[in-house]
Amino acid sequence: QEPVLSPAARKMADEKGFNPTDIAGTGRGGRVTKEDVMRHAEQSPVAS
Amino acid sequence: MANQFDVVVIGAGPAGYVCAIRAAQLGLKTACIEKWSDDKGKTLLGGTCLNVGCIPSKALLDSSHKFVEAQKDFALHGIKHEGVEIDVPKMLARKDKIVKTLTTGVGGLFKANGVTLLEGAGKVLAAKQVELTKGDGSVEIIETANVVIATGSRPIDIPPAPVDNDLIVDSTGALEFSEVPKRLGVIGAGVIGLELGSVWGRLGSEVVVLEALDQFLAAADQQIAKESMKIYKKQGLDIRLGARVTGSEIRGKEVHVTYVDSEGNETSIVFDKLIVAVGRRPYTEALLAPGSGVNLDERGFIFVDDHCATDVPGVYAVGDVVRGPMLAHKGSEEGVMVAEIIAGQKAQMNYDLIPSVIYTHPEIAWVGKTEEEVKAEGSEYKVGTFPFAASGRALAANEKDGMVKVIADKVTDRILGVHVVGPSAAELVQQGVIAMEFAASSEDLALTIFSHPTLSEALHEAVLAVDGHAIHIANRKRR
Repeated sequence: QEPVLSPAARKMADEKGFNPTDIAGTGRGGRVTKEDVMRHAEQSPVAS
Repeated sequence: MANQFDVVVIGAGPAGYVCAIRAAQLGLKTACIEKWSDDKGKTLLGGTCLNVGCIPSKALLDSSHKFVEAQKDFALHGIKHEGVEIDVPKMLARKDKIVKTLTTGVGGLFKANGVTLLEGAGKVLAAKQVELTKGDGSVEIIETANVVIATGSRPIDIPPAPVDNDLIVDSTGALEFSEVPKRLGVIGAGVIGLELGSVWGRLGSEVVVLEALDQFLAAADQQIAKESMKIYKKQGLDIRLGARVTGSEIRGKEVHVTYVDSEGNETSIVFDKLIVAVGRRPYTEALLAPGSGVNLDERGFIFVDDHCATDVPGVYAVGDVVRGPMLAHKGSEEGVMVAEIIAGQKAQMNYDLIPSVIYTHPEIAWVGKTEEEVKAEGSEYKVGTFPFAASGRALAANEKDGMVKVIADKVTDRILGVHVVGPSAAELVQQGVIAMEFAASSEDLALTIFSHPTLSEALHEAVLAVDGHAIHIANRKRR
């Protein structure tokens, strides 16, 4: 199931080419926050 | 003897009545005890907030603000009139009617939800018994599985200015002046002092506010506090900081007050009425029987944990009688949490995001951390501000005083605090509260569409300013 991303998280995930389903969301109800995308970026560096 | 009730709530203020309603909604057999009654012996529900606090003060703030607008601002809009007068008794009667509607409404909600109202004074005995002393002096023991103490708070008295309910009054008396005092003194430049000082100042009193602390609105963000001080001064509120009241004397129909300023100079000043608004203290008089097992902390608050549980299993305490900000919405949410815990839910309350509001005009409101707090923690942060003077909606409404300030973490961009002085400050801050509950970044709000023209856009521009992208002001150079 597609996770819910905050607006800033959606933008950053798109910019970095992440698949939203790969990002662990820590916001209310499992929402992916901008911080979650940053953390994901640190853990799994992707060549852009 | 079997329990008569699953929950007995002592006190029907915002914490107690909300707790009772929520408990009843959850299927718990609930009673609520209230001892406050009017001069005819009719029980008054709603507590301080509805009877002598939030609601009546807002009614007078709104009426008095309209008077100021009519006097000072109508001409600006091109509205001519033949002079405006105030009818203080009528203004007070309107306030009283609103209070009556709302307090009666609480009684209606109790009935609708099946909450049993017990009229009289409640005392917590040992082993989950509550003693009810009724108006006629008769005593009844009530067995209950759970007790929720919600007995609230009272104004703090200070020895240099004892309240006589005539010339020297507390906040309750200050809502009842039958005419506008010519010279009004207020001790305490906190929320209550500023609001009551504003009401009577707008109606014509010369108001002097004496504040013992050197810092204005110490709990608020100091940039906002400074901006607010400027606006109050412009409105004619004479706020004297570092002014410690040392004595008062009633001579005829006047109160002579002496205070020492921060340089140690003693000054004497004469008022027609003096309001003592230095703070509130928890109210626990005759509440706990010896051996109840419920303990107080060193400041007289009932000692509770994060879930409002006292030292006795099954006994909880909520609202002004326990630690935390003395605000109606704080008490109510604690009431909800406790009712849900009693019903077996894992309820929690987020103490980090309780908004504060001062209902002067313009309003002051905030949530989260101030710049001073963030700085003291040592974390790196970003700040965005936006003045209402640059808001089209505010200018159309002739509301150009004030600003919005947003503080965000420099690394994660998470919003840490939202601070507003200006029109609809409380509503703008509430948007920040919702965003912060969802761990929003400043960019999240920046990417959100705000209607134009609205006051809310000032929040949008402030979050844009956090990263230097505000459209309607020149941004400070960043990189």
